[in-house]
Amino acid sequence: MDFTLTAEQASLATALDRLAAPFEAVPTGFHGFALVSPELEQELAAGEFFDIALIPELGPLTAALAVERLARLPYTAEFALSMLVRPHLPGEWRRPLAVVEDGRPGRFVAQAGTVLAIDGDNVAVLQPSPDAIEPVESLYAYPMARLKDGTRPTPISAAEGAALRKWLRVALAAEVAGLLHAAIASTVEHISVRKQFGRPLGSFQALRHRLAECAMLAGGVRLLALKAAWTGDDGDAALAAFHAQDSATRVVFDVHQMLGAMGMTLEHPLHLWTYRLKALLSDLGGRGGQAKAVATHGFHTT
Amino acid sequence: MDFDWSEQQRAFRATVQAFLKAHLPADWESLAHGPGTAWQSDFSKKFCGELARAGLLVPHWPERWGGRDADAWTSFILAEEMWAAGEPRGGQYMNVNWIGPTLMRFGTEEQQARYIPPMARGETIWCQGFSEPEAGSDLASLRTRAEKDGSDYRINGQKIWTSYAGHADTCFLLARTAAGRDGLSIFLLPMDRPGIVVREIPSLIGEGDIHEVFFDDVVVPASALLGAEGQAWTIVRGALSLERVGIPRFALAAAMLDRAVARLKAAGRFGEGAFGAAARAGAASAAARLYSYQIIDQRHHGITTGAEANVARVATVTAERLVAEFIVEHVPEALCGADPMLLVHHQRAIVAGIASGAAEIQLNLIASEFLKLPREPR
Repeated sequence: MDFTLTAEQASLATALDRLAAPFEAVPTGFHGFALVSPELEQELAAGEFFDIALIPELGPLTAALAVERLARLPYTAEFALSMLVRPHLPGEWRRPLAVVEDGRPGRFVAQAGTVLAIDGDNVAVLQPSPDAIEPVESLYAYPMARLKDGTRPTPISAAEGAALRKWLRVALAAEVAGLLHAAIASTVEHISVRKQFGRPLGSFQALRHRLAECAMLAGGVRLLALKAAWTGDDGDAALAAFHAQDSATRVVFDVHQMLGAMGMTLEHPLHLWTYRLKALLSDLGGRGGQAKAVATHGFHTT
Repeated sequence: MDFDWSEQQRAFRATVQAFLKAHLPADWESLAHGPGTAWQSDFSKKFCGELARAGLLVPHWPERWGGRDADAWTSFILAEEMWAAGEPRGGQYMNVNWIGPTLMRFGTEEQQARYIPPMARGETIWCQGFSEPEAGSDLASLRTRAEKDGSDYRINGQKIWTSYAGHADTCFLLARTAAGRDGLSIFLLPMDRPGIVVREIPSLIGEGDIHEVFFDDVVVPASALLGAEGQAWTIVRGALSLERVGIPRFALAAAMLDRAVARLKAAGRFGEGAFGAAARAGAASAAARLYSYQIIDQRHHGITTGAEANVARVATVTAERLVAEFIVEHVPEALCGADPMLLVHHQRAIVAGIASGAAEIQLNLIASEFLKLPREPR
């Protein structure tokens, strides 16, 4: 049990910080829903960051640390599934990865080299052709698209499907952890400056306690995500994903409440984190789906 | 960064578990409630004596005081197993966690020689005289006075909510020697001094737990003062930081959640209606565990712990509450005697957000020290 980064993890974190630096600020005049960066994607590919889980000295825990770090950026790219799920696909499949659940629109489907199609208990894989994809407009801060009817994915075995679900849960929790961190940091900044009744909003106990609880939840999601990445245990992954979706549900409401009307605008960046969080809330059956997985794998009852 | 136990840590945990199995009576679970009954106080002396002889009472203490300088993980693994078993050390966990170490740091040679060896042998029970009727969260406003009278101090006042006072040999007493926060001092007060009256307060949290303690012209020699006059705040802050992450409450919470789920499964009652609450309680317990491990890791590496300890405490309080709520909703018979350990957990969970500093005070500290939000005007 050691919470200090290894030398390899620390140098990777430094490299990621350097890579992320140009993507920390929202460009002036940006008023869109999703801030997607092909340059971020290219930099990560050029630095071979998508494969860090496969490097023995780094492994999935370091990949989860990287996902959490990158998710704090206002910019987004498909890194979570590439870093944490792709190593568990049967055979070689091109990135970026996307998931389509029960035929609904999914994140990065239009950009995906490979789509995981989840229908109930079945998981299948396909490499979509451009004419099989239909981009959709949405409030979510990811590019969203759906697969047209009639695509023919390749089914994979139940065991392989279960492993993919597990790593999807780890990826979900790691990404949520970074998004929560950034949404809370953005809120701290706002309520430290914005004054009402002659004092900063952040000096009112009603908000201080609420945001302190949000921070406690967010840090817990991070720890559970990292542990699940380390153990690769089904129960740990289910607990991390449940805690991620459960905490995000509450934190998203609370931080928007604290931002007031400012948080409703596209001028303020808060939505770039909260509307990614909202997109992640429904993954794998939402909280009900994760709770079922926890009930199956998460308790020691023998 | 890793989440594995070393071979040595696994072996130590197994040793502690084997010790518990060998030394707890067969009906321990029905006796674990209390935690300050006469039976428990006597049992804690017998049990802690056996722990001491096995080298398992104070392994993290220096050799000079009967320990073996074991690391922070050793004492925390020990604490996890003890708490998960219902804390058979009773009030003596305080001696081990913070009273002994505080005396080692601030006590005179005479105080150390008098008080530390009986703690290391598991023979003595202490109580903590902090809260008063008018001084709970606002501890610095306490009124109990200690007035210099020649070479003695004369103590007058009242403490309340004092755990273990009914059977304690000594009180770690916080009293006022002058006005203001800098006017607080600590006294090591033998509880058999004339003028001390202890009255148990019947409570939800178990027999023999909380008390009122009255001090009427109690005379102690100046040698009972710990550290210097006015040094209490410094001493207490250090002691409370050990205490806050000292009790691995998540360990009993997680074990009782597993037990409640097992019970429901056996009865065919673990259905989808219970999954959400079970997962929420399970995730909160797992998060509290990792938060606490993070603090222990800092101690292990000699890093001064900051506001993360307050976050860990709130995470633990949250986990305790969610597990207790799950059990009340889905295993309501637990509060009607169906399983004594589930009841013990419920009673200890009631205390979690209040003892050693209310959770709301922790939230304030998190807001100021961890999030760096602007402070409230005073």
